[in-house]
Amino acid sequence: MKKYLSLLILPLLLLVSCKKAAEGEGSKTITVGFSQIGAESDWRKASTLSIKEEAKKRGIELKFSDAQQKQENQLKAIRAFIAQGVDVIALAPVVTTGWDDVLKEARAANIPVILIDRRVDVSEDGLYACYIGADCTEEGRKAGRWLIENVGKQAGIAELVGTVGSGPAVERKKGFEEAIKGEPGLKIIKSQSGDFTRSQGKEVMEQFLKSPERDQINVLYAHNDDMALGAIQAIEEAGKKPGKDIVIISCDGVKEIFRQILAGKANCTVECNPMVGPYLFDVVETYMRGETIPPRVIPHEDVFDAKNITQEVIDGRSY
Amino acid sequence: MNNSQSLNFIIGITALLVCVASTFISGRSQKFRHLRWPLVALSLLFLYNLIFKPTFFALEITDDGYLYGSLIDILNHSSKIALLATGMTLVIATGGVDISVGSIMAISGAVAATVIVSPYSSLILAVVLALLVSTFAGLWNGILVAACGIQPMVATLVLMVAGRGIAQLITDGTIITFHHPAFNAIGNGHLLGLPVPAWLAATIFLIALALTRTTSLGLFIETVGNNRTAARYAGIAARKIVWITYVFSGFCAGIAGLVVCSNIKCADANHAGLYLELDAILATVIGGTSMTGGRFYLSGSILGAILIQALSTVMYANDVNPAVIAVPKAILVIAVCLLQSDRFRSRIMALPVFRKFGGEPC
Amino acid sequence: MLKRLRFPIRYVPFAATVAVFIVAYAIGAISFKNFFTLRVFVNLFHDNAYLGIAAVGTGIVILSGGIDLSVGAVIAFTGMLVAKLTACGINTGLAILIALAVGILFGILQSTLIASFDLPPFLVTLGGMFLARGGSFIINEEALSILKNPVLDFIEDNLQLSLGNGVYLECIEVVYLIVLLCGIVFTQWTPLGRRIYAIGVNEQSALLMGVPVARTKIMAYGIAGFCSALAGIVFTVYLKSGNPLNCIGLEMDAIAAVVIGGILLTGGVGYLLGSLFGVLTLGLIQVLIMFQGNINSWWTRIIIGILVLLFIFMQNLITKLSDKKQ
Repeated sequence: MKKYLSLLILPLLLLVSCKKAAEGEGSKTITVGFSQIGAESDWRKASTLSIKEEAKKRGIELKFSDAQQKQENQLKAIRAFIAQGVDVIALAPVVTTGWDDVLKEARAANIPVILIDRRVDVSEDGLYACYIGADCTEEGRKAGRWLIENVGKQAGIAELVGTVGSGPAVERKKGFEEAIKGEPGLKIIKSQSGDFTRSQGKEVMEQFLKSPERDQINVLYAHNDDMALGAIQAIEEAGKKPGKDIVIISCDGVKEIFRQILAGKANCTVECNPMVGPYLFDVVETYMRGETIPPRVIPHEDVFDAKNITQEVIDGRSY
Repeated sequence: MNNSQSLNFIIGITALLVCVASTFISGRSQKFRHLRWPLVALSLLFLYNLIFKPTFFALEITDDGYLYGSLIDILNHSSKIALLATGMTLVIATGGVDISVGSIMAISGAVAATVIVSPYSSLILAVVLALLVSTFAGLWNGILVAACGIQPMVATLVLMVAGRGIAQLITDGTIITFHHPAFNAIGNGHLLGLPVPAWLAATIFLIALALTRTTSLGLFIETVGNNRTAARYAGIAARKIVWITYVFSGFCAGIAGLVVCSNIKCADANHAGLYLELDAILATVIGGTSMTGGRFYLSGSILGAILIQALSTVMYANDVNPAVIAVPKAILVIAVCLLQSDRFRSRIMALPVFRKFGGEPC
Repeated sequence: MLKRLRFPIRYVPFAATVAVFIVAYAIGAISFKNFFTLRVFVNLFHDNAYLGIAAVGTGIVILSGGIDLSVGAVIAFTGMLVAKLTACGINTGLAILIALAVGILFGILQSTLIASFDLPPFLVTLGGMFLARGGSFIINEEALSILKNPVLDFIEDNLQLSLGNGVYLECIEVVYLIVLLCGIVFTQWTPLGRRIYAIGVNEQSALLMGVPVARTKIMAYGIAGFCSALAGIVFTVYLKSGNPLNCIGLEMDAIAAVVIGGILLTGGVGYLLGSLFGVLTLGLIQVLIMFQGNINSWWTRIIIGILVLLFIFMQNLITKLSDKKQ
């Protein structure tokens, strides 16, 4: 039996050995625990990379945990960070609800929590120290405003909604509807979930283009770039010209949609900046120096369309 | 009513009639009895659309000479489920189950896309390598189940969890987008007016059918599924049969992975084939194959796949609120399930309403 | 003399799981600072209580030869139900009772279909999963908070036991342990529980021996429905919110926990106590990865897969080894 147990011990030791090497350097380094949602898109990967690289650059020890889209995993991770005694916890929450207890626990342990990407609903103020990130409702509004300014006040809109019930999907829908509310000529005539993926986006768009209302659709609003990229393929296969017959607006700002905009197959993307690493560690270092930290940091975000995208812009982007 | 509307109507009625006719034919013949209830469900779906949404049946011939319309979409998108279900049917027939197929799809797509964007870009290399890797993944499942004696659901759970990680490792966590006309044809091309994925699914189905029904392989699989010990005593290499089915399932998942990856012209390791294993199992069981192993019906599984896809395409076409999309699916699952049950049918037929008509015993 | 002291063979898979768990825990304790603390140990129960309760239900269903895929969706559904009912002004205690009743009814409905019409449990509970998931979206598309709720706040503030150092033994882990204990007593020492084993081993012979198969099955799924609903409530207390996207795929974790704990998926073999170690083992794997803190997303998945495989392998080997000796 011993022999077989050693089979188990070996990989476990391998797992911990790299950790051991890191610990030897001295104990004065700042430790930050970071609970990331997952690795579901290029956007998310860019966000993770930005934080990891910035931590390495500044000599901060980062404890990274991937929650694979599950809130329960994020709660476990935060509790594990508290048990380990990290200095600061960074959290990119997968939903806005359900964080009260664990944030109180962190407060009881005197560990500040910094939110990234998304705010949370809590019962009292002061459960989190700082919030870094844009707001998805505002992105929806920006998309709506771009539409009014660049396309006009008459259009039939098809909407590709993100994962039903997820924060960005709800907020981007809300913001967009707010922005176009004052224009009776702008109507959302089709709305269906594309689950934030290219394949679903394409499949749903194919059906939009076969509906009796197909000739009225001249704008597509997709809650993220991936669904828009799938839809572009569906539009081309239907013999229409994406970007011309149907104006395409989406959110996030990944490299591939920039290429499409440059090629004239898409029209606009509302940036949602994932490169929050520098902002995060500025706040962390401020806190470690004992200074007060700002309650809100807004990363720089743009709206991109054919006017401000060039090959240089694309080459300069890392995701 | 203008010309195109009446054409839609004619196509709709034809589709409905074909369905209803095959329902009756399958009800009469001993060989295709298992197809009857899925066909009833499909007929009902078509009938609903004929009444409320005749444009659903619109078919056009494009300038490139292929058919274009929702019915073709059903055929196109159901082929990935059909491919998975073909492999799954044989696995389930041996009394096992393979829940790793979705992850194998992701791996296959990741391998193919990596080859396509690499300097060694070639269609044949990409396809061969992807299929080799996915067949190997199937072999791994087979070894765990047949040689190590681990319970199938848990054995394939390992690859279900780890497989998506492996796929992300191959793509380095990014979505690989590519432009390769020859490779794109696998998921987007047309042959004789119909989409290539449908031809692929049909080919694999026919191969599986030929292998199981013209050789003794099918009989062996059923015997192993019915009673493994008895099969072994009868001189059947039960283990070998079991792992062959897992290898085949892996191979089918590999093709399905290629189809999906080529269809959207990118490899998305995170979402390719996510939860598709459930659809594949569903298609298999709707088609009349029993989860406990033994008897299997490949044609039923294909029909099950078409039915599942038809349901979601119909829901998209009818603007069903995305929040409730799971509910009709649940109703379909339970309804087909009930109709397949002999006990349920005999109880329904025993009701006074049906007795009056002298309802034919099922 | 020695022969009498020999470990009974039927306990071997269970003992193997316990042994592997202890070894893995020891490795974590040696390698990581702050790992071998009371907090980490209590967290293991606190963070996995809902999974544990769900695993008790899944365990009973699997012992009866069935399977339940609706667990995760029912958890999400009960959470949404409690959140919506309290938001409508209904008393929290009543809302919890309603949710429990709905859970039991849901389980009984599924099992009635399975038992009286001879339907495959995999399919029926898959349908149940779609239905419960769709149902929770119909209640509300977005997540709902249950903040400043007097009952939940009372549970949190008063029903806890300080273990020192800011570590508390809270209500939900106690509920889990009670449910587990009840489950063990029920399956091991009551005639009804023995019937579940009997139909799990062989339905036909159980029927011939006079076991009321249909009724026993309905009971097993009813208990599972109750456990899922209770897990949903524990999860709601744990999160103070309902979210229709919660616990997707949790049924697989519950099944894995039960199987790692030594229960055979074919039914009739194993002990519910094993599910405790199955749940703890899955939790431990996660904690080890979190303490390591340097593994990227895809390696996390691969390592979870490898560790699950290793646990199963170890268990298989130990079991086979002792088979040979005996």
